[in-house]
Amino acid sequence: MAQQAKQPQSREALLKSYNKRLKDDVKSILDNFMEIVKLGLVEDESQVSRMTQVEEIHFQMQVRSANMVRAAESLMKLVADVKQYLILNDFPSVNEAITQNSQIFKVKSQEADQKLMTLRDDMASDLYELEEEFYSSVYKEK
Amino acid sequence: MADIRLEVPAENSVLEVLYDGSELHQQPPSMSEHLTQLARKIDFATDGEEIKEEKKEEEEEEEKQPFQQPHWPLEEVRNKIRQALTEVSVLHDLLAVVKPKPPQYMVLDPVQADPPEPKAYIQFLSLKKSLQAAGTILLNGAERLRTSQAEMGRPGRVVGQDFHIELLRLRQNWRLKKVGSTILGDLSYRSAGSMYRHSGIFEVSKADDGPGGPGILSIGSGGASPVAPQLGPRAIQSSLRVTVPTELTGSAYIFVCIKKDEEDICSAQLTSSDFVSGETHWQQKLEKAQNVLFCKELFSQLAREAVKLTPSIPHLVVGNQITATIFPGIHLLVGLCHSDGKNGQKGGSGVLVPGNSGTGGVVVGGNNHGSTTNMAPTSVMAGASMAGAPGVGLGGLGPSKYKHEHDLEHSLHQLLHRVYHHSFQHPLPHPVYAYMGMSKRRRAAGPEGMDKTQLVNMMKEQTLLEQIIRQVQHNFLRLRTMYVIDQLAAEFKDPLIVSHWNAFNSPTRSCVKINIATQGYDSVLRTKLVIHISERSLKCICRDGKIMTMSFEPQELRNLILCQISQHNMAALQCLARYTGWTVLSSEQNVGTGAIEPLGNASTVMLASPSGNKVIGVHSGPHQRVSVMVSSSPRPDFYPSTVVSGQRWENLGASWQEVRHDRMEGRNFLNKMELLMAALTA
Repeated sequence: MAQQAKQPQSREALLKSYNKRLKDDVKSILDNFMEIVKLGLVEDESQVSRMTQVEEIHFQMQVRSANMVRAAESLMKLVADVKQYLILNDFPSVNEAITQNSQIFKVKSQEADQKLMTLRDDMASDLYELEEEFYSSVYKEK
Repeated sequence: MADIRLEVPAENSVLEVLYDGSELHQQPPSMSEHLTQLARKIDFATDGEEIKEEKKEEEEEEEKQPFQQPHWPLEEVRNKIRQALTEVSVLHDLLAVVKPKPPQYMVLDPVQADPPEPKAYIQFLSLKKSLQAAGTILLNGAERLRTSQAEMGRPGRVVGQDFHIELLRLRQNWRLKKVGSTILGDLSYRSAGSMYRHSGIFEVSKADDGPGGPGILSIGSGGASPVAPQLGPRAIQSSLRVTVPTELTGSAYIFVCIKKDEEDICSAQLTSSDFVSGETHWQQKLEKAQNVLFCKELFSQLAREAVKLTPSIPHLVVGNQITATIFPGIHLLVGLCHSDGKNGQKGGSGVLVPGNSGTGGVVVGGNNHGSTTNMAPTSVMAGASMAGAPGVGLGGLGPSKYKHEHDLEHSLHQLLHRVYHHSFQHPLPHPVYAYMGMSKRRRAAGPEGMDKTQLVNMMKEQTLLEQIIRQVQHNFLRLRTMYVIDQLAAEFKDPLIVSHWNAFNSPTRSCVKINIATQGYDSVLRTKLVIHISERSLKCICRDGKIMTMSFEPQELRNLILCQISQHNMAALQCLARYTGWTVLSSEQNVGTGAIEPLGNASTVMLASPSGNKVIGVHSGPHQRVSVMVSSSPRPDFYPSTVVSGQRWENLGASWQEVRHDRMEGRNFLNKMELLMAALTA
């Protein structure tokens, strides 16, 4: 019972973490974009030297854009994870698949049984005549 | 005199009176609220100026206080001069620090002119460049995403190559669960009722494109991007990879064969070519691995039972083969053949089937309860394929002489499946207070007051090995019976022996009907007998209703059929005599005279012609050829003598003369006898 109670909890936590990842990634994309736009503002005076400032902006923009790409890929990873989670934990559909499979195999086995029975009957009747013929012939020597 | 205190009334003002009479009091004001309330009461318009003036005066007084008490008149001057001195001293110190050459701590630089105007366009340019770089990174990232998406959703793509679709298919067919960051699957039959301790776990991961290829990493590695573009689509290659434990790789099967005593146990003859290579589809790979697991479980179960059972001749378990004696000199050999595809083959063994390598029964697939119906092996086929008689060496047949009994292997599989089935399927209805899996009879054991022996007998179940041994015994006995009958049929042209195998059989019971008839005289007489073949014995039901039980020795069956042939000849001759008008003078099934038969007794028949002047005597035994004698009356060589003087005595039969019927015309015995009768009648 404890384990059963534990499982939904962890599932809840997992789903929450997926939600959080989604929000974090989207927020990260948005924030980084806003920051890049803000960096586009030309400032007159500052304490640091201009070259330093230029380099800093350049570097910051690169990092932020890379962050956006990373967040986007993280979203794709999230999609993959959610898909995987759904595939592995979607028990109703699995049960349905199992039922369907067993149905198919039952039908197949019945068909095969029926065919084999028919074949057996045919063969038995043919065999009877063949045996009759064979044992009456002279060709039964080895 | 008492003190009078002035206090604010303790009660606050009432805010609201509720219906029950209680009063809600207003909370006492805080300090600031109190101040505000007081401040509201002041009228600033009337007394403001006076207060301001008073305040100004107070401030002036406070400011003037330090200046009102100078110590002496030149104090201010002195203070200024002291301040100047301090500054000059500082300047002097500074110059002293700056002066030494080379400058040690401080240098003096000329003051620059006005700073140049900041050039804004440089900043713009740099910003533009930075934005461009950021844009490129974003575009590259977007391109990667787009490529990976296009890769997944491309219409020309082979269906099922997508990892998730394949995973879904895998999930629909196999048990999967996620442990940590890896996906583990379960191959074992535990959910179907198996108790085997092997875990049978396999791992599912994303297929790599090989070393140097674009990086699709294993799902298990965690931080890899799952959307990395997959360049260079390959031919049909699954994007899913399963890793089965090394002990379950390859292919395996249970080798079952029957061998004679004198033949050596041969080494493996695994000729199967369906080894799993590394590139097989996961479904096949998993099925193979599951088969390996199943075979291992089956074999371990059999080995356990073989060790536990204590028959008169103990079973032998060596390595991965089990030898059990089914008949004296005949052994059943069960081996586990497992090839992992790398180290070649191991295990298993192959030996000869004594006496016949004929086709086994065609196994008709059972229904859900696993019952088997064995088609009766055809006598035709068996007769044609009976290459080796008992005792005839089969050494020249090469590897094919190791006859693997597919039907017995299948039976073994079915037996284990049945064990699985019984472990989960409990008969219903089932009372709530009883243990699961208890049979109805056992539940009733208490109320019915069964004793220990009954309980023990009830609990006794046949093990897999015992069951398969029974099946093998039956199989072997069936084939041997078939062989004996066919041998006799080939040996005796007259009368014909026709056998018909029944198609309705069970793994341990089968039945054959034998007709003995003379060609061309079928309607005269047919001798019919039915032989039931069970595990260790044969039961023959003869035409006259006699039931004979025989052991597994083939000679007994052979003798029985020989007796039947002899009796058939005699009975058929009597019937023929009836048709032709001859009279049966005597018929004796068991004659006491003549040469002694090794087995059974000879029988005789005497027939008289319609006119009574000719008599035919026929003598036949199971192991002797048929002899025919003729006697006639009146005897042609009757001469009256002194002792026998009457002419009437010539009517006594003459001495018997043997007919060499093998030189007579006619297709068979009855035909010859018919011709003989005709000749004698004429």
